[in-house]
Amino acid sequence: MRFVDEFRDPALGRSLADAIRRLAAPGRAYKIMEVCGGHTHTIYRYGIADLLPPNVELVHGPGCPVCVIPMGRVDDAIAVARRPEVLFTCFGDMLRVPGGGGTLLDAKAEGADVRVVYSPLDALRLAERHPDREVVFLAVGFETTAPSTALTLRQARARGVANFSCLCNHVTIVPPLAALLESPDLRLDGFIGPGHVATVVGTRPFEFIPREYGKPVVVSGFEPLDVLQSVWSVLDQLAAGCAEVDNQYSRVVTRDGNPRALSALADVFELRPHFEWRGLGFISSSGLRLAPAWAEYDAERRYRLPGVRVADPKACQCGEVLKGVLRPWECKVFGTACTPERPIGTCMVSSEGACAAYYNYGRVARQGAAS
Amino acid sequence: MVEPDDVRVREAEGGVGVGVGERCITCADEAVRVEVLRLDGPERARCLADHGWIETVETALVGPVRPGDVLLVHAGVALVRLDER
Amino acid sequence: MSPPEVAAPAARERLVLERIAARRARPALFRDARIGLAHGAGGKASRDLVEGLFLPAFDSEALRQLDDAGRVHVDGLRLALSTDTFVVRPLQFPGGSIGTLAVHGTLNDLAVTGARPLALTASFVLEEGLEAAVLETEVSTMAAAARAAGVELVAGDTKVVERGRADGMYVCTTGLGRVDRRAHTSPRRLEPGDRILLTGPLGRHGIAVLLARGEFELDAEVASDTRPLWPAVDALLEAAGGRLHAARDATRGGLGSVLNELATASGVGIVVRERDLPADPVVAGACEILGIDPLYVANEGQLAAFVAPDRADAALAALRAIPGFSEAADVGEVVAGPPGLVQMDTAFGGRRVVDLLVGDPLPRIC
Repeated sequence: MRFVDEFRDPALGRSLADAIRRLAAPGRAYKIMEVCGGHTHTIYRYGIADLLPPNVELVHGPGCPVCVIPMGRVDDAIAVARRPEVLFTCFGDMLRVPGGGGTLLDAKAEGADVRVVYSPLDALRLAERHPDREVVFLAVGFETTAPSTALTLRQARARGVANFSCLCNHVTIVPPLAALLESPDLRLDGFIGPGHVATVVGTRPFEFIPREYGKPVVVSGFEPLDVLQSVWSVLDQLAAGCAEVDNQYSRVVTRDGNPRALSALADVFELRPHFEWRGLGFISSSGLRLAPAWAEYDAERRYRLPGVRVADPKACQCGEVLKGVLRPWECKVFGTACTPERPIGTCMVSSEGACAAYYNYGRVARQGAAS
Repeated sequence: MVEPDDVRVREAEGGVGVGVGERCITCADEAVRVEVLRLDGPERARCLADHGWIETVETALVGPVRPGDVLLVHAGVALVRLDER
Repeated sequence: MSPPEVAAPAARERLVLERIAARRARPALFRDARIGLAHGAGGKASRDLVEGLFLPAFDSEALRQLDDAGRVHVDGLRLALSTDTFVVRPLQFPGGSIGTLAVHGTLNDLAVTGARPLALTASFVLEEGLEAAVLETEVSTMAAAARAAGVELVAGDTKVVERGRADGMYVCTTGLGRVDRRAHTSPRRLEPGDRILLTGPLGRHGIAVLLARGEFELDAEVASDTRPLWPAVDALLEAAGGRLHAARDATRGGLGSVLNELATASGVGIVVRERDLPADPVVAGACEILGIDPLYVANEGQLAAFVAPDRADAALAALRAIPGFSEAADVGEVVAGPPGLVQMDTAFGGRRVVDLLVGDPLPRIC
């Protein structure tokens, strides 16, 4: 059974690329932000940038929930992981995010019990299998992932699992987009919207973008043809002088999203008044924490966290890259002090980060363009 | 002796690094299409993904499911039940 | 007339790309304070460890070749020596076990250097409490594999460590071989125009071991591809002789790592074609779900051969004629540059870079 092949047909890809080329007005430079890490991956994995005309540029936005965790909160996670009774669980990308004094991977090498899981439900299962340990799950991700944390906590309560807690670093997608749109130095023409976040929140929350800022948004699927079709749709709207939310991923996404998932989120989480985003500063109402009714599962209450705010390194220009103002190679430390093996900032940390993606995949395509 | 892992607990002993070739699906916001094979409880189903991979999926967020339904799953949780198209 | 925004940054970008290329060309440094799992993965960290610590310390010409086996010349005889330690967890998995890996792994390192095996040694580190039945099974597996390959075990050692260490058992094997008179391979012999032949689908071993760690339910089977590769090398030597420029088995770090190592050693570029890579759909599906790239997953029965274009067709036909190697394919070619860079033409039509692995997607895989 193959679900995806029809969305990877190279012939269709070429004809979409031709259509895009015809739409892109010569002499005009287009910058389209793709918000979601998954889209960044698709673009590089399939070499989509190669297929676009040189005046259509894709900019990677703040859609990497790992990238934006500030260093101080990574230090908090490491402090919890170091406790001898703790069995610390997290997603793979979090292991190499640098805090003020190292990464979770370093802590693991020094003896902390840190394990990668693919779902918070796995972490809960670990807690049941190891009743003598305190299992902590580092929850990261946007509204796509937060429902799985919510369900896990509901199950923890239903199954009476007491040795489980969650260190919550979930973030929401709309506030950073709004913050970007408010930046005076922003230079973007349109957005490719996060397809799987939209399965939960719907397309409605993105309608403020065309309405208040006049920029088109196309909520896109993750196959290469989806992304190409979405680029075409943005250009099509720009050519027609209109701006709206186009649901390219309508086979999966609806305007209202998933009411059960939204209700689970409302039950288990509440919005923090503000949350610090690495490279973007404090953004109000953009982070989630456990609601008071779920306090017994909140690792922030169960453990005393250092809670020290660590400022972004001075050399780090992630903020500008995230806003689309700087391209990765324009950052002063790109490729020298900041590399995938020794990342300084968020954009290099995760393979979906703009700089890591460019470093690993995009160099040569750009090498052709640069020479 | 090494104790066997539980079904869904894919314990890697850490070291799933970040870089080329590795990608955290959850953080990359990806979701997988699966087909329901059989129910495994009121809100849980055993599902078949592409190429024969079978996993347990929580279905509380998509309502009642039946064998043959196609679901979109992220981090072990079904987020959408897809209509026949 | 290019848009104004595109022209100005081009020069700056070129500078940055040159800076990165210069850094990649610098000799490796080993500066880590502690050993991490990445150092065993076969990727960047492994390379830094080998080239930054071991090479300078042991300082031998043979070691500097960074080949799969060390070459030793004695009285006009071309010998090859290779050693490998196996720490796979779990000890047994579909398609093989630590014993099969221990024999095939070392023999294959000799084979891809063009050497027929002469003798094998085996060293065991056993965990206190290991069931004798498990040890007996592995020992007879190893004996059978060695016999089938026509090799004798001539020396060995055993140590026992306390319960809680060694995960059951670790095995180290060392193999001595004689370089076949037809063989003139070296990681530095790649030339632009060489064709790249791959013996079969990628990823089966790594995924089989991963699945064996948990009770994953799969509709279909994935079994390790561990097998002796000498028959393939023999056929390649017969068909191409000295026009076989290099061969390497794609174990830890996968094909992606092999291509990077050889491109760097020879100072050439490589382009691999995704649509020509033999694929196992079950492995591809598992990799997609887990977010792992099959290019970097360990294999224990696949090699990549780099053959001059005039003998490539004959070499491929010879490979395909061997039982078990019918899926062998021509998957890419060596190009002049950029030196050390491996790229892939994606099935979708674009191009991407295949870089050296950074972390370790699947630890304790072999």
